[in-house]
Parts: sequence; C-alpha cells; structure tokens
Amino acid sequence: MLFLKLLPAGLAFAILQVALRLADDANLARRLKAREPKAMNDLYDRYGRLAYSVICRIVRNPSTAEDLVQETFLRVWNRVQSFDAERGALGAWVLTVARNRAIDHLRSVDGRMEAGAIELDHLERPGLFAKLDSAALAMDRVRRLKSAFDKLTPTQRQVIELAYYEGMSQSEMAERLKQPLGTVKTWTRSALKILRDELAEAAIA
Amino acid sequence: MTCQELQEMFELYALGALEPEERTEIEAHLARGCENCGQALANALALNAGVFSFAPSIKPPGRLKRRLLTSVGVHYPGWGWVWALGAVCLLLVAAWLGVEERSRTYELADARRALLESNGERDRLTQALQFLSDPQTRPASFGRGQTAPPRGYVFLHPQMGVLLIASNLPAAGAGKTYEMWVIPKGGTPQPAGLFQSDGMRALHILSGPVDVGAIGTVAVTIEPAAGSFTPTMPIIIAAPIGS
Repeated sequence: MLFLKLLPAGLAFAILQVALRLADDANLARRLKAREPKAMNDLYDRYGRLAYSVICRIVRNPSTAEDLVQETFLRVWNRVQSFDAERGALGAWVLTVARNRAIDHLRSVDGRMEAGAIELDHLERPGLFAKLDSAALAMDRVRRLKSAFDKLTPTQRQVIELAYYEGMSQSEMAERLKQPLGTVKTWTRSALKILRDELAEAAIA
Repeated sequence: MTCQELQEMFELYALGALEPEERTEIEAHLARGCENCGQALANALALNAGVFSFAPSIKPPGRLKRRLLTSVGVHYPGWGWVWALGAVCLLLVAAWLGVEERSRTYELADARRALLESNGERDRLTQALQFLSDPQTRPASFGRGQTAPPRGYVFLHPQMGVLLIASNLPAAGAGKTYEMWVIPKGGTPQPAGLFQSDGMRALHILSGPVDVGAIGTVAVTIEPAAGSFTPTMPIIIAAPIGS
C-alpha cells in the first residue's frame, strides 16, 4: 500500500474505493452462493436502484419496472451457483439481466418475442461474465464512457439508444429510421468504436 | 469474417441485436475457443454494462425490497415493527381522545340542557309573578275540601293569558302528558297547552290575550304524549271561573 501514499489523495481514495467494492462483490457472490439470507438484502442494496433505473428507462412504467426488478433478482438468485465469484463482475451481470428482462418485456409487447427471449437468455449466462474486468462499473470508467457517448453525433447516439434501450436489430433500426441498412451499420460501428476506444484508454490509465 | 471484424460486432451480439446469420457465425467462432475473441466478448459485455448504467438514477419504492426478499423467503423486519408500534400508540391515543371528546360533548350537552331548563323555569316564574302582581288578574281555585284531589289555582289575565298552579296531581303514566283546556261558557273545550308535573306539582301558562269573561272553566286531562284536540280522558282538574 506504499504506492498509495505517493498518489494524490483523491486518486488514492478512488482506487481504494474500487478495490474495496470489488472485494465486496466477490464476497457478496460467495455469500449468495452459500444462500446466506442477508446476502440477497445486500445485493439489492448495492444494485437494486441501478437495476430499477435501467428497467424504468426501457419500459417507462414504474409498476412494470417493479415486476421486472423482482424477476431480475430472482434470476440472479437462482443462477448464482454458476457464477464465478472470484473472477466475475457481479454488477455487470445483474445489469445485463435487468436490461434483458426489460427488453424481453418490450419485445413481448411489440410482438417481437419469439426468437428474442431465447437469444437474450443465452446472452446472460453467468459463465459469460467470468472473464469480465470486474471494474466494469467503476465510477471513473463509467464517467469517461458517458463523456464519450455525449460526444457522439446525434445519429450515432440514436442508434446506440435503439440497440441498448429498445433492443432493436440493425435492420429494425434501418426500418425505424428509414435509412439504408448499410448506413445504419456504419453509424453503429463507428459509435461503438469510439466507446470501445475510450474504455480501452480508461483501462490503461 | 476475421476475428477483427467479428469483434466489432460483439457489443451488438451481446445485446441480441444482430441478424440471425451474423449471430450464428459469431457463435460458431466462439465455440472453437478463440482466446482473443473470448476476451473481446468480455470487454463488450463490460462496455454494455457501462452504457446501461447511463440510465437516469431513480429510487425504487421501499415496498419493492420487501416484496423481493419475501419472495426468496428472507424475513425482512425493516422498520415495520416501529410503524406497527407507532400505529398502535396512535390508535390508543385516538381512542382515548375520542372517549374524552365524547364525554366532554355529553357533559356540555347536559350543561346546555340544564341551563336552558333553568332559563325556561326562571322565565316561567317571572311570568307567573307578573300574573300574580297584576291587578287585572282574576284568581280561581279548585280541589278544595276534597280528599286527595289535585289542588291549586288558576289565574286569568286579559292580556297575559291563563296561569295554572297545581299540586297533588295523579301520575300521568308512561307515554302520557297533562293537557290544559279552556272551556268557554256554553262552548267546546279548547286545547291550552301540554305540560309535565314535577313531583305532582305543576305550573303551566297559556300566554296571550284571552276573553276572561267568556271562560266558564279551566280543566286538565291526561292525554297521549302528542296531545289531543278534544279531551279523551277523564277530567282531573276542573276550575270553574266565576263571573
């Protein structure tokens, strides 16, 4: 911990916070797997608000959002045995499950459910999150990512929002925006590259 | 597609936003155990989670946590016992205040009733004194010399009306009342007001001008509580008015 003394106080504090949170997440995942009654309480305290906010943003209905938050945490509770407590990013997994539950709901309302439900279920397997950088939701990284997102062009932001918060495929976006599929793919690819590069820089820093 | 080209689609793949043929190609590639692409997929999941967290922060309702914990069989005491205790205390205080309030209301109603009765009694006595002190008042008595009849006086005044003071009245009985009658000479009895006795004594006034000379008798009967237009019971008082 000697190196912390050489850093500016604010940065040292932020690093300590991240380290403590990550250690907490690993410990929390272990307690969830051990079926400790208070672990679910702690999981909700840590990620309940975030999950509710994501779901509200997608479904825009508080009552539906409550049902979907419950479904999200029950899914995590029921599948946590397959989660790698030592290496996985618990927060990223919970948020992904929350987002997918909300998108599944939107698709069921829009009649887009059939293939989507199986697909999203497959994409939130706990095993997928084993190689994740557990600092995925560290505050400084999210802040940098948001700053990069704000600098995107309006069309780039629009396709990102349609993909992330409405669960649209690129062909659905092309139809919605009345643009050629190639154009939509270009907007999406360029927007994601900017975000990806920003995250890569944040990881190096 | 090359690994590089595939990796550019991992975020959309993880969102379930790819076309079926693109998804199939990525899954086939990942199934071959490409190490670089495995890490790139993890990075894509991290990016996606970061973008999800852009959602404006909204506080969930408190009931949601209770509901969730209950659904997984976790007892959630929270602060419920404090609210329950508070609610019980409030109920007790409200009940006590209610009883006090009701009791106070009854006391006030009793006092008001007593005051009204007292005021009414005072007014009647004052009116009776005016009768007795006015020189135009003509007295008449009844019941004298009889064994145990009602006894008393009737006073008539041309402007003030008729005053009856009686004692030794027989009990009216449940649902009955006394009714005074003014019987003109050669005429039919006219109702002159209902009254109750206080321990077999009574004071009753018919207010207003009367033709004293035309009155032959002042009488009292026992009638139903609502009174009668003509006497239906035996006359218990009959005070003849002398000319």
